[in-house]
Order: sequence, then structure tokens, then C-alpha cells
Amino acid sequence: MSKKAAFFGLFLLVVCAALLFRTVRLDLRPMHHDEANQAVKFGDLLEKGTYRYDPNEHHGPSLYYLSLPFAWISSGTSFASLDEKTLRMVPAIFGVGVVLLLLLLRGGYSSSTIFFSGILAAVSPVMVYYNRFYIQETLLVFFLVGAIATSWRYHQDRTWGWAAATGFFCGMVYATKETSLIVFGSLIASLLLARIFEKRNGRKGFILSHFLAFLGTALVSSFLLFSSFFQNPRGILDSVVAFRTYFERAAEAGFHSYPWSYYLKMLAFSRYGDGPIWSEALILVLALVGCIAAFRPGSDKDSHPLFMRFVCFYAIVSTAIYSLIPYKTPWNMLPFYIGIVLLAGNGTAFLLESSKKLIIQSLIVVILGVGFYHLGMQSFRANFEYHADPRNPYVYAQTSMDFLNLVHRIDDLAQYHPDRREMLIKVITYADEAWPLPWYLRGFSRVGYWEEAEEAGDMSEAPLIISSVDKTEKLWSRLKETHQAEFYGLRPEVLLILHIKKDLWDEFLEKKPVK
Amino acid sequence: MIKRAFLSGVVLTIMILFLLDTGVSFQDQEKEVLELKLPKPMFVGTPRNIRSPNLEKITGKRRGPFYVPKGTEPLSLKKPVTGSDTEPVIGEIEFVTDGEKSGEEGYYVEFGPLVQWVQIDLEDSFLLHAILVWHYHSQARVYRDVIVQVSEDPDFITDVRTIFNNDHDNSTGLGVGKDKEYIETNEGRLIDPRGVKARYVRLYSRGNTSNEMNHYVEVEVYGTPSNE
Repeated sequence: MSKKAAFFGLFLLVVCAALLFRTVRLDLRPMHHDEANQAVKFGDLLEKGTYRYDPNEHHGPSLYYLSLPFAWISSGTSFASLDEKTLRMVPAIFGVGVVLLLLLLRGGYSSSTIFFSGILAAVSPVMVYYNRFYIQETLLVFFLVGAIATSWRYHQDRTWGWAAATGFFCGMVYATKETSLIVFGSLIASLLLARIFEKRNGRKGFILSHFLAFLGTALVSSFLLFSSFFQNPRGILDSVVAFRTYFERAAEAGFHSYPWSYYLKMLAFSRYGDGPIWSEALILVLALVGCIAAFRPGSDKDSHPLFMRFVCFYAIVSTAIYSLIPYKTPWNMLPFYIGIVLLAGNGTAFLLESSKKLIIQSLIVVILGVGFYHLGMQSFRANFEYHADPRNPYVYAQTSMDFLNLVHRIDDLAQYHPDRREMLIKVITYADEAWPLPWYLRGFSRVGYWEEAEEAGDMSEAPLIISSVDKTEKLWSRLKETHQAEFYGLRPEVLLILHIKKDLWDEFLEKKPVK
Repeated sequence: MIKRAFLSGVVLTIMILFLLDTGVSFQDQEKEVLELKLPKPMFVGTPRNIRSPNLEKITGKRRGPFYVPKGTEPLSLKKPVTGSDTEPVIGEIEFVTDGEKSGEEGYYVEFGPLVQWVQIDLEDSFLLHAILVWHYHSQARVYRDVIVQVSEDPDFITDVRTIFNNDHDNSTGLGVGKDKEYIETNEGRLIDPRGVKARYVRLYSRGNTSNEMNHYVEVEVYGTPSNE
């Protein structure tokens, strides 16, 4: 077997592992508040064909438009028939795509570096966890890696095709999330820094037609999406206006404000209560080795020094920027963590190639094997055992598993109400305690949401009322004679109360199947 | 005569039908299906992530004074405890009557999922006047199907009396309860046994709103000696 065939065979195994981790049991975790937000926004596009970019919420349009083919295949244009698996399949497949895109880095990185980067991207717990999340981050990482890979290909093989491909990926990065500004800033800064170390005779000239191809595809791909395919040209301007909103949000982080060390601490070592220890320290250590490799001439003869340094600077600059911004949520790690993962792949290859003695090489292989296995086990645990458990560091404001009991109860009760799924449901909660109800109640045609009980009109005849605990005090006096109350967990420390009209409850008790 | 009666009948029938028809029309004109315009949910950003214990009370006011007969004493301290889960996931079953009510780690016993129970042997029959239960009060959560039974029979086959039951859908199979669910607080849940005479106290639960496990920090039983 040739070296090339062996490489592709092994890489295929890595892709299979990435696919398995990302696509199995996608319905296991209840929809997160943010996922439900995105899903309901997508529902409008799916059913009504309408989408308008909102500069205040939801981020860029790429997620919605790229979800369409997945939804069409699984449920046609019916939002009610859509399920979590279909929606989460979108980031899951793009997450596998990130691993595949690494193949385009050949020449910039050696085969062994690409292989190890692929393994680490495939099994990293934080990568896997958020690749199964219906939010924009995975797409951002996919298009970012695409932009890096195609620009590298352009550097190697200067054709207008690679220039246009780079433009496309950059346009899609912009059309995915407003934080693309940080990503672009980091990319430019890293390129300039890497060029400082490059010999001047290695530089190539500027080709105007290629630049125009790059710019044209970047503008076309992003503007098409922001303008909803020219149905809302204002969306293009709004995409720029949105930067102000997100700058303000980043500075005034409120309850998402954390110290600069938040991300690195979480990656290095986390333990909550009596839960297990979580650590991706192996990747961080290997990334440090990758930093050394990037600045040692001839450390990896098949990797290009410019590319190695570029990745190294990208990892450092983007990690620093994301860490310095007060607003932090764990999924925001992904755009800089992919740089760390690539650097760690470089460090792994460097370690193996620089050790000359067989015994040391064998020892490194064993340590790396155990380390990769440990990462894989953590990924398994994070996604299939602790998927909604607050003892998992990547579980952030996650909907509790108990919330599904509320959904099942409502589904069960609907069977005994004469209006079935047209039964009136009144939701009286704070805005952030209403989600993910709109996703789970998408099959019910008469659901109203209010923040105050007084605004919701007569309560006594409503078959089901869902309320926040704080909103319930005003309701008790009105409902204690007419409704039966049950508590359900929404998130840690946040409970919802389901008030069931007594005649419906009695009917349910009388007729429900006995277990 | 017959002809007139027949004609009158026909006219009357036509009039009734006309009126009925008109009535339906009036009904159609006066009533219509109410098209409710229900408000949509607001889109808001990522909610707060809460991971640390919260010892604050979430709702309600502090419990007022609870009156018991003179001479009422704590009966359960250090008394033998048994349970449905012989190998607790966390902690020891003795924690239930060790007098420690802290909400922190290391003060509660954790039983597995589904219906579980703990049972306290008071080592004699007493007239019971108060039972206080703390399942887990470091976090706002509600325990499902809380049932408190007392008996003179350690196996709870005969002479079983239920003094609290909020299993409103009978998912435990011990009968439908009319008591309300409640949020755990550091005050514990006070249950009034109304002077019932018993030696054994058994408490059931079936998971909670945060996870499917069952927890007990402490159970306190208060009463007076039985004169029999």
C-alpha cells in the first residue's frame, strides 16, 4: 500500500469517527433556548418563504438558508413536522465538513499534521458538543477553515478559481455571524505577523483580476443572503448597522461577563460538584509544542513555514481577542479553538518527527493514544451522558431534561381535550422563560405568550396555562379552584408551573392508560 | 274539518320551519368564530447560566408559627433509618436522621431514579405532631410524588395511614394525592400528622425537576409519648 493510500484510509476513519460523534442521537438533548430561537426563525423561512435580517438578534442568515435542503428532505415545508434531528444535522454535517476541509491544507501542513489535526477536531469534546447545537458557530468555523484552506491553495496555485473560492468562503463567514469581524481582524493580523518572518523573495505579486474575483464572490455571496435574495435590500445595510449592537453587547456583557481566563480555564480543567473532571489540556499542551514547531526552521519539512506561523499567530491573536471581550459564552470558543486544534496537530507531528529514538517515539505514541482516547471518552460523556447536566462545563443555560416531561404532559392532555391540538394554551412568563416552548408547542395552533397575567384576559376557561413561578402569585387566587398545578424544571433554578383545567385533568385521570 | 286541520298543520309546520330557519340565520349573523390573535413570544438573548447553589428563598413568605401540644419532643434524631436503595449513589442513609440540615455537598443521601423511599424507626409508638422534610435545598427544585405514610407495621402492609400525598396522577400506584407540589427551601416542608399514633414513618419520592434522582438531607419527626 502506498503512503498516499494509507493516509487517505486513515483519514477516512477519522471522518467516520467525526460523523459518528456528531450525528448519533441528535434528539437526546432538549432544545436550548437559543436553538429554539433559531428554529422558530427558520420556521418562518420554511413555511412562509420569508426572511428578514434582524440587526438586533439571531445573527446572520446563512444558517437558515442552509437548513432549507435538510428540512425539505425530511419534512417538506411543514414547520410542525420538523424535528430536532433534522435541524441539528445541519451543524453536524458542517462539523464533519471542517475535518474534510483540512485536506485542502496540504502543502501548508504535512500529511501527518493534517491527520493529527483531523483527529483532534473530530474528538475534541467542545467541538463535538457545539457541532450538535443548532446555532451559527459551527458554520462560522466551517467557512473560516474554508477561507483559510482556499486562500492557502491560492497561495500555492494562483488561479482566479481559488481566489473566487476564498471570496465565497469569506462572504459566507460574514453572512454567518457578526463576530466575523473578530475573525477577519485576527486573520489579517496573523498574515501580517507571519509575513514579518518570511523572506522577501518568497512574496508574490498582486493580480488585480484575481482580487476582483475574490471581492466579487465575497460581496455576492454575503449580499445575496443578507438581502434575502434581493427581497430585502435593506438587510445589506442592516448587516453593517448590526456591528454597533454587537459591540455594545460585547462591552456590556451583563450576566455573560466573565474574566479573561474563562475559556482557557474551562478547556484546561473543569469540575463541578461531584461530577467528573473535564480537560482538553492535551490539546493546549500540543498547541504550545506547535508554537515551537512553527518557529523552528526545518522542524517539519513537509509543512510550509509561512502557513505554520500564520496558524500559530491566528490561534494566539484570536484567543487573546475572544478572551479579552467581557461577553463570553462557551460556544464562542469555537472560532479560536479551531486555530488551537490546528496548532496542536502541528505540535503532535513535530513531537513524533523530532524524536529520533524508537523507544521515545513509542512512548510518545502510547501517551498520544491514551490522550486521544481520553478526549474521545470525554466527548462521549459530554454528548451522551452529561448532555444536559450542569456538571458538564459546556452545558450553559441548557434546558433541563425535566422540561421534556412538561412537553409530554401537554401532548398527553391534548388527546383528551375536544379541541385536540387546537386547544388554547396561555403562557405567562418572563421572555427568557418562554423558550424553548415555542419550538415544542409548534404543533399547537392556539398558543399565546404574555409577560403579565393581567394582559392575558380570562384565565378560568383556559385548559392549559404555563407560568413562571414569580408570575404565579397573582394567578393562584384565580386558578386554585379551577386548575390543577404541576411543577416542571426549565433550567437549573428556573421552574415553570403547568396549570391544568380541572375538568380536563379529571378526564385525563379517568381515561389515561394504566401503566 | 279534516281538510282545514290538514291545511292548518301545513301552515303551522311551514311557520315553524321558517322561524327555525330565521333563528339559525340570526344565530349566524350574531355569532361567529372568535379569531384569537394570540401574542407571539419575544425573541431574547441567551439566558443566565446558573451553576452555583442558591440558598435564597425563591417564592412565598416565611412559614408562620406551628402549634403543637406541650411536651412535644424531637423523636427521630439518630434513630435507625432504612431505605429502598440499599447502596445510595452519594452519602449514607444515616444522614437522614443525623441532625445536619446543611444544603451543601456531603450532607445529603442520593438514591437512584424512579420511586424510592426512606423509613425511620422511632423505636416506640408515639403521637406524632409534626414531620419536617428537607430533600435538597441548595437549589430551587420540586420533588415529585412526595408521599408520607406512618404505620405500626415495619413492612407497611397493615395499618398504613397516609398523612401527605402530592402524587396527583397516581404514578406511584399508592393512590391519588390531593396535596400540592412545593419548591424546596431551607425551611424544609412541614407536614402535620394531626396526632396520629405510629412507630414507623416512611417517605416516598420519584425524582425531581432538576434530575431523576431522589435526595434526603434530613427528616425530623416530633411527637409526644403514647400513653397506651
